[in-house]
Amino acid sequence: MTIEKNLNGTELSVILAGRLDTTTAPQLDTELRESYDGVKTLVLDFAALEYLSSAGLRVLLAAQKVMNKQGEMIIRNVNETIREIFEVTGFVDILTIE
Amino acid sequence: MIKISHLKKEYPSATPLRDVNVEIHKGDVISIIGPSGTGKSTLIRCINMLETPTAGEIWVDGECITDKKCNINKIRQKMGMVFQSFNLFNHMNVIENIMAAPVDLLGKSKQEAYDKGIELLRTVGLADKAFNYPDVLSGGQKQRVAIARTLAMEPEIILLDEPTSALDPTMVGEVQAVIKDLAKKGLTLMIVTHEMRFAREIANRVFYMDDGGVYEDGTPEQIFDNPQRERTIRFIKHLKVFEKLITSKDFDFIGFNTELEEFGRRNQVPQKTIYRGGSVFEELVMQCLLPNLEKEFHLNIAFEYAQGTETLSMSLKYDGAHFDVRNTPNIVSLAIAENASESIEYTEMDADGFTNLVSVKIK
Repeated sequence: MTIEKNLNGTELSVILAGRLDTTTAPQLDTELRESYDGVKTLVLDFAALEYLSSAGLRVLLAAQKVMNKQGEMIIRNVNETIREIFEVTGFVDILTIE
Repeated sequence: MIKISHLKKEYPSATPLRDVNVEIHKGDVISIIGPSGTGKSTLIRCINMLETPTAGEIWVDGECITDKKCNINKIRQKMGMVFQSFNLFNHMNVIENIMAAPVDLLGKSKQEAYDKGIELLRTVGLADKAFNYPDVLSGGQKQRVAIARTLAMEPEIILLDEPTSALDPTMVGEVQAVIKDLAKKGLTLMIVTHEMRFAREIANRVFYMDDGGVYEDGTPEQIFDNPQRERTIRFIKHLKVFEKLITSKDFDFIGFNTELEEFGRRNQVPQKTIYRGGSVFEELVMQCLLPNLEKEFHLNIAFEYAQGTETLSMSLKYDGAHFDVRNTPNIVSLAIAENASESIEYTEMDADGFTNLVSVKIK
């Protein structure tokens, strides 16, 4: 998985590409934890994300909890397969998916 | 009629037959099927001692033919052999090919051998070719002559080693029809073949050969419609299998995924299906199962793709205490796995050291 971060004022946009799974989820978790300071809007761009597992969902849930306290988190460009994962796990109701 | 016990045939680089134990009864018509290299031809070549077994015994009509004192030529007269490559004498015409052995070995008069030869050529539909040389015959005709030649020795047992595999597809039918006629005459036949429909139609018994022996022995209905053992099922259903044994929680997950994707590409598994398979594996194994297994464990995982029905299934076998993975407290992982599956079933088992079996049909 590749993670590309762009900070624009208080908006952090994170572009993910590849697989967000058991092995790569901890990498995203670390990257996000290092970057929360001063961020009011966290935008996760999933256009190039091919695969998402429950390990990735857990990281997204943790991020959502942090952003609930300091602003908002938005997930963009979700493909059909990944949207299905959000739906069957009930994460559609917890996350903001545009 | 034939009794084989603990037959072993070892070559310097391979051991196609490790331990064969079967009995063949008079009048049996046996199709021998199985993957390449599983000793099908070796078995029938051992039965008439064209190959010398490394160990074990073969008894034919109460005589131990693997015994050095046995007069093998006498036994061979009871057995005819039909080869893939016909093996006709090209310098003799058709009827001479058929007459040679009865005259030389059975002591028949030329007239007697000739009359019988013509009669046999009639039964294989080639009486009009009696004076032709093999060169001018088609492959199918040559093989029919070879069968007539075998019958001229009045054998009790006929061994056929892939009799149609060297033939043009248009000629397979004519040779199969002749072999089917033989089967109806009450001769004991053993036929190595890759033609499954033929194997099924002709036989009263089928030997599925694999893993160093006759792996499964049953009626055609049992073997083709209701095979019981794992390798037979895979062979009959044209299953493509990707199998791994995992014994450490730190196994190479990335490597596993790469291999699984490669397996999918190689066997034309739709991308979405293989994606779901990978997803079920990650959720059930990585998230639900591995955290629950003891430090020392064995987990066998097999993905099987049936090309005929385009269905992918996954089976997990693991040792240790009985644990139904569907009872995991990890409901998120279970929801993802269930969404990607038609069904997830669990059974307690006790075989090959495994105590748990999870069978998943991937959507």
